[in-house]
Amino acid sequence: MIATEAKLKQVLADVFGVDPARIDDDASVDTIEKWDSLNHLKLVLALEDQFKVSLNEEQVVEMLNYPLVKVVLQEHGVEFR
Amino acid sequence: MTSLAAALARVGSEGTYASYLAAQSALPPARDPGTFEVVKLAVLRNFTVEPFLPVLEVELARSGLLAETYVGDFDAIAADALDSDGRLARFEPQAIVLALWLDGLAPRLVERFPSMTSAEVGAESARVSAHVREMLDGIRRFSQAPVLLNNFPLPVRPARGIVDAQRDDSQTEAVLSIDRSLRAIARDVGNVFIVDHMALFASVGTAEGFDERSWMHRRSPIGRSALVPLGREYAKFVRALRGRVRKCVVVDCDDTLWGGVIGEDGIDGIRLGEGHPGASYTALQQELLNLHDRGVLIALCTKNNEADVLEVLRDHPGMLLREEHIAAYRINWEDKASNLAALAMELNIGLDSMVLVDDSAFECGLVSERHPEVAVVQLDLGAGDLASQLTRHGYFDSLVTSKEDTQRTSHFKAEAARRDLQGSSSSLEEYLERLEMVAEIGPPDDELVPRVAQLTQKTNQFNLTTRRYTEADIRRFLASARTDVVYLRLRDRVADLGVVGVAIMRSSDDGVAEIDSFVMSCRALGRGAERIMLDELRRRAQERGCEKVRGVYVPTSKNEQVADLYPSAGFARESATGPSRSFIADVRALPPARSPITVVRTADTRTVAS
Repeated sequence: MIATEAKLKQVLADVFGVDPARIDDDASVDTIEKWDSLNHLKLVLALEDQFKVSLNEEQVVEMLNYPLVKVVLQEHGVEFR
Repeated sequence: MTSLAAALARVGSEGTYASYLAAQSALPPARDPGTFEVVKLAVLRNFTVEPFLPVLEVELARSGLLAETYVGDFDAIAADALDSDGRLARFEPQAIVLALWLDGLAPRLVERFPSMTSAEVGAESARVSAHVREMLDGIRRFSQAPVLLNNFPLPVRPARGIVDAQRDDSQTEAVLSIDRSLRAIARDVGNVFIVDHMALFASVGTAEGFDERSWMHRRSPIGRSALVPLGREYAKFVRALRGRVRKCVVVDCDDTLWGGVIGEDGIDGIRLGEGHPGASYTALQQELLNLHDRGVLIALCTKNNEADVLEVLRDHPGMLLREEHIAAYRINWEDKASNLAALAMELNIGLDSMVLVDDSAFECGLVSERHPEVAVVQLDLGAGDLASQLTRHGYFDSLVTSKEDTQRTSHFKAEAARRDLQGSSSSLEEYLERLEMVAEIGPPDDELVPRVAQLTQKTNQFNLTTRRYTEADIRRFLASARTDVVYLRLRDRVADLGVVGVAIMRSSDDGVAEIDSFVMSCRALGRGAERIMLDELRRRAQERGCEKVRGVYVPTSKNEQVADLYPSAGFARESATGPSRSFIADVRALPPARSPITVVRTADTRTVAS
């Protein structure tokens, strides 16, 4: 699947209730206030819904910042243009 | 557009899970609801429900309801259900979701089924039912609120493999038997409604909707495909319980009722009937007829020449929908937003009772912007499943059905006949005399209870207190020695209007009878029937030895027309608490109603007969 980074940032912004501009390479569990475990679960579901992928458990546990989220999706064949 | 309106519009056009999460963030807090009606919703659960709650809350917001949600602790249902002074009891919920996952209740039944004997399966199933029963009985000690209880999805991989389908003691059969016993419990406890997880997971595909790994790791079983359907499903129930049921479907014609454009293709050229692509339109018409039979009004709103459309309605052999099914229409070249407003006026319903079905993005967009309260279904013609696009939102879903439903459109036809009669009468009084109205009035028997409950749930305009009651509530009132429940059925020389009025009155030791609820269907307004009802209440209060009758008016955005009902009937202003006002009258001082309506009391007839 081909997607844009803007689309990905929008998903994170929707989940965490922040402006998409806040989602950059520094965005992580430590910098986004609402990135807690429940919202992390919602993030997983929103990504799966948006990009039609199924994340495995290791990926769910490790993707704790924006660059890692991108890497995980790339591992599932999502190409960002 | 506000950010909330934009977020809700995005849900409508996009419908992704992320769009629901964004809209949830834009909702106002329950303490500052603005134009929303707040509904207090409790969710007790033995699994992680949090992912689908945003979908439920946003779907409610799309119908004007703002959920104030209480979520019970994880797998701690008993702590809330069995504590009459606990947090749940103090929350005073208006609806309670009991969200259960079978694997959490009876792990062995799900995970180790082949290790169990038939007797053990039976015992384990009975234990599940008994547990649910105990929780419901506990809740009923402090709350009569409706409870939404789910059944369970059927196993994806039956425990013994392919042989399971050959046997009567299969895992599937065990889940089906639990479903049957839950339904019996629901009926027995009363005001408990089954949310059909079995059908829902079958429709999205249990393998897709159930996230087995997420269940194991996080006790969160709802997979991405089931999140939105599940949230929507619960919203249908809450909407129905709060009287937010849509009453009228407004349908476009070209490329909606049939394929093609009648003005260009002609009556022989439009696509309708067997085969591709006509069958898809035929299926949509079938679904419209089903809605018609469920009491939903059908209106046409289309940019065409009137004669062209009427010719199709009368003469096209493939049409299922005929003139007799159409309550009203606007076939002209005006903009649809104005036409919808005119239709709402003609049918005497609110715009928020309407659903527009149209293939045009332009028309749908215009109506959404001018009338955000109208629900819009923009048909995706290419998908070919037009009928399911019409019904999947459950806009018309109600928890009760009654005989009056099937007569609704004929009522509007009769109304047109009455308008002719009115033309030949010189005054309103004379007109009402000519109608030869007969009101049947008395306490409802069991058969009428669904209609009585439905009137309290669906009536918005002539509704003094807007208290919504279920069938179980009405039966409880009828069983109470202090409460009068009275219905009013109206007939005239043109037609039987059916049961059009309900009042509930409670008497107390201090000699005051208080009118808890007083509703009249809009089809019966302007005929003085409400005075007949008040007169009956006065009579009943007097029979009970009450000296005074109290009436309460709780204002909403819809019931302005009854603000002065009590003062104009001879009641005096008593007090005001917040926005509601109460009025009181001495029963002996109230003037008897003078009315051209002949009154027949059913209770009296029965006394004479026995």
